[in-house]
Amino acid sequence: MAGERGRLDAMLRDAQFWVPVAVLLGGLVVFWWIR
Amino acid sequence: MDPLSAAGGGLDAGRLRRLQLAGIASGFAAGAWLGAAEAPTKMVTLGLSPVVISLTMVLGVFLARWSLPALLRGTAAIGADVRQAPHLVVWAVLAGCLWAVANTLTVFAIRDIGLSIAFPLWNANSLLGILWGAVFFNELRGAGWSRRLGVLGGAVLMCVGATLLAIASSAGAAGGHAARGVAAALAAGALWGTMYIPYRKAYLTGMNPLAFVTFFTVGEVGMMTALALTDRGGLGPLVTELAGARDVLFWLLLGGFVWVVGDLFQQYAAKYIGISRGIPLSNTNQLWGLAWGLLVFGELRGRSAATHSQVIGGSLLMALGAAAIALASATGAEHRRWHEAAEREGSRYGIDPAYVRAALAGETGATTGRRSWLDWTLVGGATAVFIGFGAIARVPSLSVSWGWVVVLVAALAVLLVGTGLLLWRTTRFNYRRLGRLGEVFGGYGRFAPLTC
Repeated sequence: MAGERGRLDAMLRDAQFWVPVAVLLGGLVVFWWIR
Repeated sequence: MDPLSAAGGGLDAGRLRRLQLAGIASGFAAGAWLGAAEAPTKMVTLGLSPVVISLTMVLGVFLARWSLPALLRGTAAIGADVRQAPHLVVWAVLAGCLWAVANTLTVFAIRDIGLSIAFPLWNANSLLGILWGAVFFNELRGAGWSRRLGVLGGAVLMCVGATLLAIASSAGAAGGHAARGVAAALAAGALWGTMYIPYRKAYLTGMNPLAFVTFFTVGEVGMMTALALTDRGGLGPLVTELAGARDVLFWLLLGGFVWVVGDLFQQYAAKYIGISRGIPLSNTNQLWGLAWGLLVFGELRGRSAATHSQVIGGSLLMALGAAAIALASATGAEHRRWHEAAEREGSRYGIDPAYVRAALAGETGATTGRRSWLDWTLVGGATAVFIGFGAIARVPSLSVSWGWVVVLVAALAVLLVGTGLLLWRTTRFNYRRLGRLGEVFGGYGRFAPLTC
């Protein structure tokens, strides 16, 4: 469990993780705008 | 000097060459099967909402993504993969969400600005994929200028070719909301191009493609359901529309199934040749989609000579671009940079270095090789759903050239069997058969590289 929490922490600190998250949020905003 | 002679990361030159060949073959097979996925959807002539069509295809995708991996590897092997790197489940779900939003946006983009303008905009995803591959995963580093030029030039050629094909196959009727359509197409390209970050992340770390897709599809179907509910105005209207179209749902489910076969090859391409080469090769799906449209369904019949010139020119450019990329395979020096990226991932997330190394060599993972009751339940359940909807499916009265159907299906079968065998001989789909389950979790060295 501690190992999994450590990996989760590492993922949240990983800059590469936030790139797809930001792009997904941007895509949802565009969807909301155009529908 | 043979550029592979100084192979990367402890791989011998022959092994690296076989992995590259398997990856390139997977990219071309992916293009053929992804392109063929459009064919069953052409049997749907009802006025269904595009979002509902997309949702039904995704449901077919979901069924295939749980049953095919269970059949090919078994859920036990998938579970073993996930226990090695459980954080990758989050990445897989995230990638599925990106795909679903992108796919939905393309529907709106086509509606607002037409296929000929929309397609080139979102097709730029391959260029974005090359950028992310180079920036985040050391792809094309140490590759030499000729190979970089081969990949970049090939991708640009394919984009130009795709544009010509899109113009030729476009109905040309735009809806009149240019800004919204352009935004939707660009956003779709950004989403699809970025979706490959989780792919590459997972494969550098060691996850098997067959494990990744089972979680990818959870994000895919979850996000697609949310978008469909939003678009249709709730569960009631959505269910009513689905029930009213139940006699054509089989074709959409089948389209989703065919798409998954292509996507599995795409995943192996991303794993063994990286996203900078795998994405453009998979994008040859447009050529195959056009072949089905032209030869089987008689599209563009009676169109002008200029249109046919665009089709021929665009196809040649796409083929040239794909060839340039296929010939610019990774050298040993570049592969060593991939290893550096993989070691960085392993270190960051505390993953067994032997597991990561074996993954890059296409040898990771272990299983008993047996299938459990759960595997057969998944396979049987998915088969039953397809048979059930197939039994009530209505065949619309369309003009179809069955001779060309036979030719194209034969080509798909050849690519499926040929590439499948190549992958099996090279990687055993990344698993090895062990006698005792205990050996799977038996300590350091359990994923020691095999000799092939």
